[in-house]
Amino acid sequence: MLDINNLHVKLEDEDRTIVNGLTLNVKPGEVHAIMGPNGSGKSTLSYVLAGRAGYEVTDGSVTFKGEDLLEMSPDQRAAKGVFLAFQYPIEIPGVVTMQFLKVALNAQRKARGEKELSTPDFMRLVKDRAAKLNVSQDMLKRPVNVGFSGGEKKRAEILQMAVLEPSLCILDETDSGLDIDALRVVADGVNALRSPDRAMIVITHYQRLLDYIVPDHVHVLSKGRIVKSGDKSLALELEKQGYAEFDKSAA
Amino acid sequence: MSIALARTAAEEALDFSLPHRRMEEWRWTDLRQMIDKPYPPRQMVTAEQGEVERLLKSSPFAAIAGARMVFVNGHYDSKHSKLVNSAVEPQAEITEPVQQMNAAFATDGARLVLSGSIDTPVELVFIATDAAPRTIATHNVIEVAGGASATIIETHIGKGSYLANSVTEIRIGEGARLDRVKADLESHDATHLAHAHVTLSANVTYREFTLSTGAKLNRQNGTYAFKGEHTDAKISGAYLLAGKQHADSRLVVDHQVPNCASRELFKCVMDDHARSIFQGKVIVRPHAQKTDGKQSSHALLLSETAEFDAKPELEIFADDVACGHGATAGDLNEDHLFYLESRGITPAEAKALLIAAFVGEAFETIDHDGIREALTDYAARWLTEHRRKG
Ligand SMILES: Nc1ncnc2c1ncn2[C@@H]1O[C@H](COP(=O)(O)OP(=O)(O)OP(=O)(O)O)[C@@H](O)[C@H]1O
Ligand SMILES: [Mg+2]
Repeated sequence: MLDINNLHVKLEDEDRTIVNGLTLNVKPGEVHAIMGPNGSGKSTLSYVLAGRAGYEVTDGSVTFKGEDLLEMSPDQRAAKGVFLAFQYPIEIPGVVTMQFLKVALNAQRKARGEKELSTPDFMRLVKDRAAKLNVSQDMLKRPVNVGFSGGEKKRAEILQMAVLEPSLCILDETDSGLDIDALRVVADGVNALRSPDRAMIVITHYQRLLDYIVPDHVHVLSKGRIVKSGDKSLALELEKQGYAEFDKSAA
Repeated sequence: MSIALARTAAEEALDFSLPHRRMEEWRWTDLRQMIDKPYPPRQMVTAEQGEVERLLKSSPFAAIAGARMVFVNGHYDSKHSKLVNSAVEPQAEITEPVQQMNAAFATDGARLVLSGSIDTPVELVFIATDAAPRTIATHNVIEVAGGASATIIETHIGKGSYLANSVTEIRIGEGARLDRVKADLESHDATHLAHAHVTLSANVTYREFTLSTGAKLNRQNGTYAFKGEHTDAKISGAYLLAGKQHADSRLVVDHQVPNCASRELFKCVMDDHARSIFQGKVIVRPHAQKTDGKQSSHALLLSETAEFDAKPELEIFADDVACGHGATAGDLNEDHLFYLESRGITPAEAKALLIAAFVGEAFETIDHDGIREALTDYAARWLTEHRRKG
């Protein structure tokens, strides 16, 4: 589904390489966890996959469902099925969450040549998904992320994901800032979306999330490249030992 | 010492000296230079009925207004009006150029006394039909009786090239509430010069909203005199400007008594070479303690050649007051755009959503649901049409 090959990314206005020869292959149905020290390039990788401006790909390729992902605009990528749950979700004053969800869903459907969802059908869908994620009707009436607590923002991201039903879900530290109950709610929400034709990349610092969302593969990212891959036991190992060893090997 | 300036063709036609940039309040809007051709006054124009009806229908409030009073080319149109004038006389002192020009050329205007509780909005429609360039001036006097409540809409629509001068004098009695909505939807070849003179008694609630999107040249003055305590006024506006449109608003909020509140909120969206100016002055007289006066103006510049100037002035002579002002200008936030686009929203749609969100804050101040929706729709249409154009 997703083929990242020898990817090199630098900042557009600085001569600084952040992603440095990263290769990753994600198949439908798989869950990949990416762990790694602060500043190792995890969020940068997720932004590059989502199409954020400010980064320049200097080498390598990214293929998504057989097409060159890097050639697509962010909205085209979303319509194709890419979804990024932001590490720091952005507040948008004046745009009501409910309206935003509707515009987004229908824009994607339109881009895929599908029929737009009627308002009652849409309301039913959102109500159902929101209830499962403990997102209140009040939050849906408020502007996107404005005044949401840290945990509410993360839940709102997962709600968007549950409504948009993407085929590649990238979760960037969705667990940080969540209390223990919220973590379970979010993990249940994510697990509900697991399916044989949907893949997930879960970026996290903590083994705890991976107890709930059990990954097929765990990768350690250091200085912009994957320095070790393994199964879920690698996460446990990291929890005990930290990253010191991998930092050395990446140097 | 004053220097005699040679009269421009426009001044000759009017036999009137236009304000110019050496006058502080007109520094950004030099009418001597900007009014580039003569607009002779007192030109009777017979309006074509079809055109009048088309223009009337184009009012966003056509389905909302209860009673209408229609002025065509500066004259009362009995055929399309439901209301007739009451006996009420102007009282405002004539001190500034727009008023002086109006005093010289006004042909007609609404004279209304509103009393009791009037549920459906009253619409005053000012129509200019297509004809040779000319000056059209109207003078309205609206008196709101003590304890009354009413909503009044002023709609300015037209076709062709003309200079519309509109002065509205409003006096609001004790305990009354007035919601005033003004929509400047003039022809894009028109010049719109307006002056509102609002006097507020005690315990009054006053809400004003102005949408400015017509006219190539637009100047609006507003003076708001607080003459009774515990009065609360909100004055808001939205500008949607493109091409070479120029809009300049000068508001003077004059707190003459204690315990009153004023809020000014202006949101300007500008594209191409459009330019807008917000001059807001808040005066707090020496004994007007506990005045709560705030003013803010914000501009969204959609092109690098659009320009916004803000000139806030606070003249505070009382010591126990809460007054402040803020002005910002910027373009669309890249992070906001990316977030929306990352959810599948196209760049054009994302832009439109953010622009609507930006001006939305000003529209939110309109209490009447029907009016707010009509104007929000109008703004949305502006955005779509504007986007299609370029
Ligand atoms: N737009 C930018 N401007 C300047 N530096 C940037 C930019 N984007 C990323 N960086 C830098 O690139 C490096 C990688 O950042 P990134 O956010 O990808 O790390 P991360 O692995 O997600 O870290 P964390 O675990 O703290 O979230 C950091 O040193 C960061 O400062
Ligand atoms: Mg990060």
